[in-house]
Amino acid sequence: MGLLTSLRDSISRVTDGLFAADEPKRIGIYGPPNAGKTTLANRIARDWTGDAVGPESHIPHETRRARRKENVEIERNGRKVTIDIVDTPGVTTKVDYKEFLDHDMEKEDAVRRSREATEGVAEAMHWLREDVDGVIYVLDSTTDPFTQVNTMLIGIIESQDLPALILANKTDLPGSDVQQIANAFPQHETIPLSALEGENMDEVYTKIAEYFG
Amino acid sequence: MPHQCIECGRTFPDGSKEMLSGCPDCGGNKFQFKPGGVTESPDPEATPASETATGSEPAPDFDSSSDVDSERSSPDPASPVDTSDSLDSPDGTDAPGPVDRRPERAVSSGTADPDTTDPVEGDAERIDDEEAEDTAQASARSDVVTPDELDRATREAGDPAIEAPANGSESAEPPGSQPGVDELRDELNEQFESIKIVSPGQYELNLMELYDRQEYIISLQEDGRYVIEMPDAWGVTDE
Repeated sequence: MGLLTSLRDSISRVTDGLFAADEPKRIGIYGPPNAGKTTLANRIARDWTGDAVGPESHIPHETRRARRKENVEIERNGRKVTIDIVDTPGVTTKVDYKEFLDHDMEKEDAVRRSREATEGVAEAMHWLREDVDGVIYVLDSTTDPFTQVNTMLIGIIESQDLPALILANKTDLPGSDVQQIANAFPQHETIPLSALEGENMDEVYTKIAEYFG
Repeated sequence: MPHQCIECGRTFPDGSKEMLSGCPDCGGNKFQFKPGGVTESPDPEATPASETATGSEPAPDFDSSSDVDSERSSPDPASPVDTSDSLDSPDGTDAPGPVDRRPERAVSSGTADPDTTDPVEGDAERIDDEEAEDTAQASARSDVVTPDELDRATREAGDPAIEAPANGSESAEPPGSQPGVDELRDELNEQFESIKIVSPGQYELNLMELYDRQEYIISLQEDGRYVIEMPDAWGVTDE
């Protein structure tokens, strides 16, 4: 039994190695709603492929299906790193159509958006379990990072031994507090950025190459 | 005659199936537990209340419940086979029992004959004794324990678990009782829905449940149904 197990592990390692050489790492962009995940995904995709990943919006849960941008080649310090970017719906423990009513949305549309957002969270969690090789965790640096969702997701990511890069987004906003995020997750490196303005993207790409290359 | 309809006073023998669908005479669905030899108490909650209040004599509690199944040759706590793995001490089974085995007891007491189900019956009636009778009976007819019940039972379970070591007979109680509570929490979590539809357009999500499940929800329907994607290897792997 032990022999079989070790044999299987060996084969698994070899095949993993082969795939690792051939296939780009699939990097999930995770975080709570409205943290700027799609803005970041679009920024990365536009910078390196010229295309966008999906529409951005200030209304929460704009992204309700995971969207993937494949074969994004990032060059850093002479190294070329190819990744697939998966922009995931914002993860939350509660979805309420009422929050959409504030954004001039009819109730029927708000209810539908709410349902789709819930499906999106389920999909995001499924991707996290099955389909990502690394995580870029995006947080809005103007909001409190000590939330149940953040703690739980970071915990899951750590338990999976996935490489994770924590980004403190929206540094262009007045209330931005990067240190608060660094304090919340001291076991990880926190990189400040403004995905909207493109601030500090150089460091982000360097870290992406370092973490996921 | 351990069970008595509080409406009409009709009594039922241990393991009776009749009362599972209500009292045949008056239709009442509230019964009180009257273990043999114990004098009736006007207030069905008086006994458990005093027991839990004093908190110092878990053994009589255990005995009074097990005298129902005194014909059992050995008070082997592993009799409820399917749950013995999670609750491994006799006194430990006492405490968390009310919570995590309720559906199984309900099934057993309703289908098997009294002789063979004595150990299970003993447990079921102890629940009956500890909680309101209608709760136990309601649980016998339904297969879902509400989170509220579980929460209450979890809290109650904590007391006997602490009392047991004070009895001094089992040295393994403290470590045994803590896993029991953890098991209960796991059980509790398992029973939470992965997605709770509070009302149309309002959802509460159990992220751990969503993450832990192999299948995932693709589409929620208006009527509360949902479509799931089954994993590719369903039934082939260790699941």
